[in-house]
Amino acid sequence: MAYEEVKIRTPLLLRVLPVASILAFFGVWQLIIYLEIIPTTMLASPSQVISIFVEKLSEPNPDGAVLWVHAWTSIQEAFTGYILALLVGIPLGLLMGWFSVAEGLARPIFEMIRPIPPIAWIPLTIFWFGIGISGKVFIIWLGGIVPCVINSFAGVRMTNPTLIQMARTYGATDWQIFTKLCVPSALPMVFGALQIALAYCWTTLVAAELLAADTGLGYLITMGRRLAMPDLVVLGMVMVGLTGAVIGVAIDWVEKRLLAGIRR
Amino acid sequence: MNSIANEVQAQIKERSPLSIWRFLKNRWFLHAVSTIAFFIIWDYVAFNRFLGSALARPYEVLLQLANMMVNPIAGKDLIGHIWASTQRILTGFAIGAVLATPLGLFMALNRYVNAIVKPVFDLIKPMPPIAWISIAILWFGIGEPSKIFIIVVGTFVPCLLNAYNGVRLIEPQLYDVVRMLGGNRRDEILHVCFPAAFPAIFAGLQISLSCAWTCVLAAELVSARSGLGFIILLGMTQSKPALIVGGMVVIAMVAWLTTLLVTGLEKVLCPWKREIQTA
Repeated sequence: MAYEEVKIRTPLLLRVLPVASILAFFGVWQLIIYLEIIPTTMLASPSQVISIFVEKLSEPNPDGAVLWVHAWTSIQEAFTGYILALLVGIPLGLLMGWFSVAEGLARPIFEMIRPIPPIAWIPLTIFWFGIGISGKVFIIWLGGIVPCVINSFAGVRMTNPTLIQMARTYGATDWQIFTKLCVPSALPMVFGALQIALAYCWTTLVAAELLAADTGLGYLITMGRRLAMPDLVVLGMVMVGLTGAVIGVAIDWVEKRLLAGIRR
Repeated sequence: MNSIANEVQAQIKERSPLSIWRFLKNRWFLHAVSTIAFFIIWDYVAFNRFLGSALARPYEVLLQLANMMVNPIAGKDLIGHIWASTQRILTGFAIGAVLATPLGLFMALNRYVNAIVKPVFDLIKPMPPIAWISIAILWFGIGEPSKIFIIVVGTFVPCLLNAYNGVRLIEPQLYDVVRMLGGNRRDEILHVCFPAAFPAIFAGLQISLSCAWTCVLAAELVSARSGLGFIILLGMTQSKPALIVGGMVVIAMVAWLTTLLVTGLEKVLCPWKREIQTA
């Protein structure tokens, strides 16, 4: 069948609307503050957020640290927990997927711990580790490990059984099948886990910092509320969203580079 | 691993004689071993106080839970606290799902709606719902509305994303079939979009539900007078590890039950999903 190349031009309206909607969003936001429909004690306007952003770059008051220190602390904690979750979760999930002994032993404990949201661990961890970095890393680790295990497990389980039987026919050992077949075929699912785990880690981090911290972006938000400074709260929220998005894009890039060599 | 090849293999498999090794490798035996080992190690660690006084023994936790059933804490017994949390979740979850799912469907079906909503949604999406807690408290005070607001925010994003992607990822051939049979746009939407997007929407509901649990706990940990999050926070401030661990156990059970409920609902409402899963 021969196809004729059809070029569909997007209508002008469709190209203008996204820009217009973003502009309208910020415009309305600025306007409701400007006209004092919502008082400034409850919400800060975009211009106020930008001005406090510039101010916070060099001014440690009123929350005790400049913006970069907060952001850096958060990133450090999130990444330590994230890497640890990957290091433990992915091998565990892969092993559980292939070796029935590993699954038999790890499954019940995993299923017992899984339904508990990581946030529920916060009081217990404060007891165990205090409010230092180790407690937060532990909570973030708990948040990140669940999707890692589930995805690697499912990835191994989805290996094409015909391939496994073929390998058996040619006399491959269990370990060879695992390393040569199951692990490579699980890789796309494992990489899927990287993104999910990162989102979980980041959410958990904010929760951990809301409750127990003395620096970090979550702490910035809490301080903003305690001081009744909506501009600080919104700044904290924007920074959390922005940093999360940047890390997400970075992980996506790494994933593409790593997956480039794998034939799909 | 459901394949024809495996079924053939299962038919020709001989029954191997019962040996000790086979018994040791039995899945249920291993499950039992690890569960029992888990509780024994927990009890051992708690009894010998390796973590200071910060871990309760399993039977102390049970005792605490039984005690809470009879003696109310902060004016509510255990069932009352469970209901307080569940009520918040159900309210927020219902509002979030009712708002987000149709919006997601509209965005996927109409490119103009998509062009207006998507950029703003993309701005808000990367913010974790928990980051909204402070602003919710500034807006609504520390009462019920602020907690429900956070749950709505938390459920909104996964519901909308899944409804949106559910419609977008439908195979185009299905549309071709309807068009070939003389269907119009309405038929396409009613007979292709909705049934095909249903499993994805339900997956979104599942994700939102676990999100809602996270949100409600965070909200209750920050400020509440009732609920399961309040119980574990109380355990922390009063230095009662049994109360914390007991709260966590109850949270796990209730969260698990609500997940089971949604799965059951999905099986009833959407029987065609199973065929997709096995394929």
